[in-house]
Amino acid sequence: MLYDEGQHAMAEETRRVLAARTDRTRLLELLDRTGAWDEAFWATAVEQGWTALAVPEEFGGLGLGLIELGLVAQEAGRVVSGAPFLTYGHGAVCALLASDDEDLLATWLPRLAKGEVKAAVAFAEDDGAMPAAPSVEYRDGRLHGTKGGVACGLAADIAIVSASSPDGMVLALVDLGQASGDELQRRAIGSFDNGRLFADMTFSGAPATVLEAGDAAEEAALDLQAQMAVLTAHEQTGGAEAMMLAARDYALERKAFGQPIGAFQSVKHRLAEMYGLVEIARANCIHAAARQGEGDFLEAAACARLSAIEAYDTATRDAVQIHGGSGVTWDGGLHLHMRRARSLAIELGNALFWEDLLATELTGEPA
Amino acid sequence: MTDLDAWQERSRAWLASVAPEFGREARAGLSQDEDLAVGRRYMAAKYDAGFSGITIPVEFGGQGLSPLHKVLFETLEAQAAMPIGYFGVSTAMPLPILIRYCDDKDWVRERIVAALKGEEIWCQLFSEPAAGSDLAGLRTKAEQGGEGWTINGQKLWTTFAQYSDYGILIARSDPALPKHKGLTFFWIDMKAPGVTVRPFRLANGDIQCNEVFFDDVAVADSQRLGPVGGGFSVAMATLMIERYAASDADGFGPPIGAFVELLRSHTINGRPALRDGRVRSVIARNHALRQGLDSIRRRAMLIMEAGQEPGPEGALNKLFSVRSRQKLSELALDLQGSAGLAYTEGAYTKADWAASWIGAPTMRQAGGADEMLLNTIAEKILGLPQDHRPDKGVPFNQIPA
Ligand SMILES: Cc1cc2nc3c(=O)[nH]c(=O)nc-3n(C[C@H](O)[C@H](O)[C@H](O)COP(=O)(O)OP(=O)(O)OC[C@H]3O[C@@H](n4cnc5c(N)ncnc54)[C@H](O)[C@@H]3O)c2cc1C
Repeated sequence: MLYDEGQHAMAEETRRVLAARTDRTRLLELLDRTGAWDEAFWATAVEQGWTALAVPEEFGGLGLGLIELGLVAQEAGRVVSGAPFLTYGHGAVCALLASDDEDLLATWLPRLAKGEVKAAVAFAEDDGAMPAAPSVEYRDGRLHGTKGGVACGLAADIAIVSASSPDGMVLALVDLGQASGDELQRRAIGSFDNGRLFADMTFSGAPATVLEAGDAAEEAALDLQAQMAVLTAHEQTGGAEAMMLAARDYALERKAFGQPIGAFQSVKHRLAEMYGLVEIARANCIHAAARQGEGDFLEAAACARLSAIEAYDTATRDAVQIHGGSGVTWDGGLHLHMRRARSLAIELGNALFWEDLLATELTGEPA
Repeated sequence: MTDLDAWQERSRAWLASVAPEFGREARAGLSQDEDLAVGRRYMAAKYDAGFSGITIPVEFGGQGLSPLHKVLFETLEAQAAMPIGYFGVSTAMPLPILIRYCDDKDWVRERIVAALKGEEIWCQLFSEPAAGSDLAGLRTKAEQGGEGWTINGQKLWTTFAQYSDYGILIARSDPALPKHKGLTFFWIDMKAPGVTVRPFRLANGDIQCNEVFFDDVAVADSQRLGPVGGGFSVAMATLMIERYAASDADGFGPPIGAFVELLRSHTINGRPALRDGRVRSVIARNHALRQGLDSIRRRAMLIMEAGQEPGPEGALNKLFSVRSRQKLSELALDLQGSAGLAYTEGAYTKADWAASWIGAPTMRQAGGADEMLLNTIAEKILGLPQDHRPDKGVPFNQIPA
C-alpha cells in the first residue's frame, strides 16, 4: 500500500500543527497531576476533525479509516500526544458499529465525531488483556465488578466494557455520566504517565446497554482491540522515530575525545539499528492499516504491534543512553518518551499477549 | 491485466514448465560439474524464452525492460530454485559495465549474449587478502608500459573464478596517490598466460571461492574500463547497479512456516513444542520482523511501478533477514534432539536447517559485512560522520602496512 497525495498532505499538515502547538513544559506538568490532560492537544484534535476521521459520513464523520487515523496517531506519537482519546474514541466507534443498533449509533456517533464525548475501552483484568470469561458480570441490565488500569478512565464519558453474562461474553456500553456515585467508582492510579488518565473502575450496578453477546461479542472485541493496537503501533512508531532523530541530532552536535560522538561506532551503529527497527515497524503499520476488514488483519495487527513495541522501547532506551547525563534530567524531557513507551507497551495488551495471539494465528496451537 | 501482471504470469508459467528439467529435484545428487552443465542448459533455455538480460538494452541482446520486470522474474526464479548460482555474478555486474565503458560494441554484444546463454562466465576480481571491506586498500599492481599494462598480484574470494572465461578487475596503477585515487579498472581474459586460479573450500564444504594469482599478465589498454585512476568510481558504479536485486525476507533460509511445521512433531517437557512460550515468542518476533521486511520490499516495488525511486529502507533487508535466519536456524537444530546433529553437505539453504545455519555467516560477510552495512545506513541515511580514518588522503605507498 502506498499513501496517496491526500494522505501525504494530511500527515504533513498534522505534523506542522502539532509541532507548532506542542509545549513540552505543559506535558511535563501533566506528569505531576492525576486526572489532567493537555487541553490544547485535545482542542486541536477536535478542531482539525481528527475525531471524525473514521466515523461514517451518515453520522457526521469523514468516512475514512485506519490509514488516515494511523497517520494522525503517528504524528501524535512523535510529540508524545497530550491525551489518549483518539485511540479509545475509535475503539468506541468500532464497538458501536458492530452493534448495528440505529438508535445507539445515532445517539453516540455524531457526538464522538464532534469530540463532545470521550470514551474508554475496559477489557483488561488482573489475569490478562482480554479475559475470555471476565470477572466483571452483566446481570439484568447492570454491571458488577472491577476493571483495572483503564486508560482514559478518569475522563471518559462512556465506556465499552467486556463482561460475563448468562449468554456468554457481552460487550456493553456504559453511560458513565448517568451512573450514580454508588453505581460507579473511579479510583485514579498515580502512574508514571499520568496523562493517560489511568483508573480502576468499579461497577456496582451501573446501568449498561449490551452491544453484542456471545461469539459476536468476542469477535467484535478482538477486532476493536486489534484496530486500537494498530493505531497505537503508529503512535509508537512516531515516538520511536522522534527518539531516533533526537539521538541522531545530539550525536552530531555533542563532541568527546576530539570528535562528534556520532563518529564512534557504538553510537553510530546503535542509531542505524534504531533506523531499521523504526522502518520495519512503519512498514508493518502501513500494511496492517491497509488490511483492515481482511482475513489476515489480526495477524498484520499483531506484527505491527510487536515491531512497534520493540522499536519504541529500543529507541527510547538507546536515545537516553546516547544523551549521556542530559538524557536523564527532568527538563530535558526525554523521559516523556520513556514513560510513554512503557505505558503504550502495557495498554492494549503487552508484547507477551500479542506474541501468543500471533503464534496461535500462525500455528493453530493455543498457548 | 497490467503489463507487469502479464509479465509475472508469463514468468510463472515458463518457470513451471521447465521445473521438471532444471528444478531442485531434477538436480538432486549431481556433482558440481554436472550441476553446472545443467545450469548452462537452463541459461540457454531462458535466453530462448526471452527472460535473460531483462534490463539490458535490446541492441546488446537483452530485453530492454525495467528493473521491476527484473526483480519480479528473479524473485520467482529464486523461489523455483533454478540453477542460477554459477551465473549470479556473471550476468549481474560485469555486463552493464562493459556496455558503459567498452568501445567495441560488437564485441560487447557477443560477450553479453554468450554470458546470458551460459556459454561464458564472468567473475568479479575485487577483494584481496588485505582488501575486503576496505576495497581501496587493494595491492594488485597494474603497470603501464609499451602497448598496454602488466598485472601482478593476488585476488581472494573470487566466486566461481574456476569456471570463468573473463573477469572484471580493479588494480593499483599509481601507488603514489591516496588509496582511492590510484586505481584503474580492466576486463581480464581468465585464460591468459600468468593467470592461476586455485579453488578452496568454504566452511559448509562449498567449492565456490578462489584465490587468483596474476604473474606478469599482459593486458591491452583497450581492456581498460574508464579512465586511468578512475577505477574506484567504476567499482562503485558496479555496486550501484545491483541496487534492485531480488531480496528475500527469510535471508535465503527456510521460512517461518517451515519452522512451525518442523516443530509440530516435537515436544518440550512433554508438551507440544508449539505451546512452549519461548518457542512462541521466537515464532512471533521473527514473523513480525520478516513481515516488515516483506512489506518494505512490496512497497518498493509499487514505488518503482509508479516510476519513482524507492526509499533507502531497502538496504535493511540483508542485515536484518540474515541475522534472523542465523538464530532461527540455531534454534531449529537445538529443538530436533539427536536429529539436529545430522548434516548433509550441499543441502538447500531454504529447505535445510543445518545448511541454513552453517551458511549464514557467509552471507553476513559477502556483499558487504553487517558492520559495513550499519556504517552505510548511519552515514548515507542518517548523515552521521565517517569513522576516523588515519589513512585518509595519505599516498598509498606511505600508509604503514
Ligand atoms: C562466499 C563469499 C564470496 C565472495 N565472492 C567475492 C567475489 O566474487 N569477488 C570479490 O571481489 N569478493 C568476494 N567476496 C569478498 C567479500 O566481499 C569480503 O569477504 C567482504 O567484503 C569482507 O571483507 P574481508 O573478508 O576482507 O573482511 P574484513 O574487511 O577484513 O572484515 C573483518 C571484520 O571487520 C569488520 N570491519 C571491517 N571494517 C570495518 C569498519 N570500518 N568498521 C567496523 N567493522 C569493520 C567487518 O565487518 C568484519 O566483521 C566474497 C566473500 C565471501 C565470503
